[in-house]
Amino acid sequence: MMKDRDKFVVSKIKGLAEEISDDIGKGKPPKMHVPLRGLNNVKFDKQSNLLRLGNKTSARNFMNIAHSRKFMQTMLIASKCQELVSRGKTASIREMYYQLKHTIANTKENTFEDQSESDPLIVDLETSLEVLREELHLKADDKGTIIGNIVIEDSGDFIDCNKLGRSGLAIPSIVEQYKFHEVKAEYVLVIETAAMFDRLVEEKYHTKNNCIMVATKGQAARGIRRLISRINRELKLPVIVFTDGDPWGYYIYSVLKAGSMALAHESERLGTPKSSYVGMTMTDIETYGLEKVTEKLKDVDKKRISELLQYPWFQHKEWRHQLSLMAEKGLRIEQQALASKSLEFVAEEYLPEKINSGKLLP
Amino acid sequence: MAEDKEAEGEIKERKADELFKEFKEVSITEFFRKNKAHLGYSGKLRSLTTVIHELVTNSLDACEESGILPEIKVEIKQLGNEHYRFTETDNGPGIPEKHIGDVFGKMLAGTKFHRNIQLRGQQGIGVTGVTLFSQMTTGKPMKITTSTGDGRIHEIKLMVDVMKNKADVIETNIVSKLWQGTEIEGELKGVLFNLSEHGPFEYVRRTALANPHLKISFVDPEGRKTVFERASDVVPRPPTEMKPHPKGLSVDELLTKSKMSDARKVSSFLETTFARVSTSKTKELQGMVNFDLNKNPRKLTWAESEEIVQAFEKMDFMAPSIEGIRPIGEKQIEKAFLNVLKPEFHAVVSRKPTVYSGGIPFQIEVGIAYGGSSGKPSAEGTKSEVMRFANCVPLLFDAGGCALTEAINSVDWKRYDVKDFENSPITVFVNLVSMYVPYTSAGKQSVTGEDEIVKEIRMALMEVGRKFQRYHSKLRRDIEKEARMNALMKYSTELAPAIARLIGKDEKKMLKDLQDLIKKKLKMEEEREAKLEEYMEEAEPDTTFKDEEGEK
Repeated sequence: MMKDRDKFVVSKIKGLAEEISDDIGKGKPPKMHVPLRGLNNVKFDKQSNLLRLGNKTSARNFMNIAHSRKFMQTMLIASKCQELVSRGKTASIREMYYQLKHTIANTKENTFEDQSESDPLIVDLETSLEVLREELHLKADDKGTIIGNIVIEDSGDFIDCNKLGRSGLAIPSIVEQYKFHEVKAEYVLVIETAAMFDRLVEEKYHTKNNCIMVATKGQAARGIRRLISRINRELKLPVIVFTDGDPWGYYIYSVLKAGSMALAHESERLGTPKSSYVGMTMTDIETYGLEKVTEKLKDVDKKRISELLQYPWFQHKEWRHQLSLMAEKGLRIEQQALASKSLEFVAEEYLPEKINSGKLLP
Repeated sequence: MAEDKEAEGEIKERKADELFKEFKEVSITEFFRKNKAHLGYSGKLRSLTTVIHELVTNSLDACEESGILPEIKVEIKQLGNEHYRFTETDNGPGIPEKHIGDVFGKMLAGTKFHRNIQLRGQQGIGVTGVTLFSQMTTGKPMKITTSTGDGRIHEIKLMVDVMKNKADVIETNIVSKLWQGTEIEGELKGVLFNLSEHGPFEYVRRTALANPHLKISFVDPEGRKTVFERASDVVPRPPTEMKPHPKGLSVDELLTKSKMSDARKVSSFLETTFARVSTSKTKELQGMVNFDLNKNPRKLTWAESEEIVQAFEKMDFMAPSIEGIRPIGEKQIEKAFLNVLKPEFHAVVSRKPTVYSGGIPFQIEVGIAYGGSSGKPSAEGTKSEVMRFANCVPLLFDAGGCALTEAINSVDWKRYDVKDFENSPITVFVNLVSMYVPYTSAGKQSVTGEDEIVKEIRMALMEVGRKFQRYHSKLRRDIEKEARMNALMKYSTELAPAIARLIGKDEKKMLKDLQDLIKKKLKMEEEREAKLEEYMEEAEPDTTFKDEEGEK
């Protein structure tokens, strides 16, 4: 009944429980090892241009009162995942939270108080078991939209992303089952804000320029990152990213390109090392006369800039230059500031001009 | 120069003569009438507390001097608006018939006035003051019932003849019955009773704390009776009579003593009246004064007296003997704490006797009690309370200008884990023991800021502070330990079944195994900590003389 991969995942979960049971049997404090997911356990692989997880782990000890609750919660999640895999069901991470949330007997305390407690533990479980979230039969909410000249097959249905009106196709958290057909687009344009995406849809940018457009709506979720990575690798389409000109926009690009610290164990699947960046750059301000529509940096922005300058994957001289310029000017520029020229400016002049002339950052 | 001095002497001599003339004309009782505020009879509440104070200290002193374990009853009844009747009864030695009039109706007739002794009352105006205050506010006599245990009980009603400074006995009656003790009953008007920290109840409560050998009961105007049981059966050893020390002597004190002396020469008067004044010292003195010390002491003038006092200040004397000092004792205070405050924690420190102002002996005793009925209740919860004592007598008034308060406030309680001193259930107890308590005024409610006294109190409080800190951190560790045990037990009920389900084992057995493991591990940790603590306590360095907070 169960697929081999499912059987493997179940045996992994059981293995974790066996170790803990052995500890208890031997009268030893129950422990589990969770890979560290921070800057000090992430390495930038220059060869592949991807973030990779190091091999540092932290021991979670049930007897340590700072760990006890998390320890218990992690094992509740593990137990529920085994059940999901065995029954062939897939639950959202929110459903997982509700399935496990209850009051601990004879107390006023809940097993979980908030979904923010269970979400990071799911990632802990993924990394310590070295399996993927979807392999644990878990998914997140849909986030992001795709539109353009591509036909996607999902569970036997064929979806033409060019025939979905102005709204496009919502991107689910798991896109493994997607098969790509009839791709006539020439590149993928990834857009940070929903408002800019809507502007470009109204201007029919994707049809006029024969491209696929993806809106991340902020930091890109796993499903979006996996989809972009797959289109890039499987269809060999170039990926061009368009974000706000601030440290947060640049970081969105870096996550799409090289992966994130939190999910460094999945960079290989989620990253798109060959993507490039169109804007907004600090030099755009001068080139397009946008001096009047910039915004001043706040303290948090400045702090973020100096953080980015520390990251090994931000050491490319073009990026150091952009960040230094930003810090120097004390300014940021939003995508939508281009509307100061005209509504059509971004679609008819800014993007075509920059993309066609190849004025892109690595 | 010499002429100037002579001239000055002349003036002073006349002044002294006038002074003594006045002394004869205006009776001391009349003086009291005019100065009653200085003697504690100011304010409606304070006056009532002063009355109780005079009666209780009198009873305590009498019992101690005759080696009796004191048992005192105090009752206050309300008769009308600001009109009360008080009754105070003791089991003391009783007062011989011929002395009753002097004790209750004559100023400066007490047995203590001319002796140098560490007693509670010292002015010898105490109880007569009560008689006087009572008759001034109500026009009624005091009723005294007393017996020395000879089978005859004297019941006497008396008032003070204000102009003659003597008792005016109104009624006297003898009952044949075997009893020993004294009961004093009288009425007061224009006074007020309440339960505040300045009131008679608080006075009695604090007296019980500072006198563990005392059993005292109190009945308030509402009829509520509180009994403070005796915490100790040890009667403090009677105070030893000591000669006064020449340092800190005042001119009129010296003059008064000289008038009463039967010595033939000033030099022998000084040698016999004062401690540490030897023949060689009087020889040294002769070189410093401008008159012959062979003079008759009864003819000493104010100016000459002043010369002696000034010379004494410049001379070196051996420090006064500490023999006369009678501390309560650490064990006794602890007993009283447990008896009255029933605290969760207490620490008491009795410092070694030392001297202030270049040679006056004193000793400091402090205590801290936490929890139980420590602290004072208020609408916003229990607040800390500070109890000041001088020779075991509670000081309820004038806290602001008192060196004891200053010393207590100078301690940084946060250092000792008392996060919010004001709002903690804490009682701080400070007793200053000395034959010469440097009171700021005749009201005897606050002590002057002698550096040595303040320093000693600080040292003692820091020591009890450290003890509290150790207790508190142990308490905190115990609470943390319990919380940890509870948390682990709680989470185990979720963890064990989850693991058991995953690997198909019995859920109940898994839970039992896990909980046994938790208990075993925590017990091991506790044993380890206990050992460590034992070691720490043994290794504690003696920090007795270090002011760890530094100068304020």
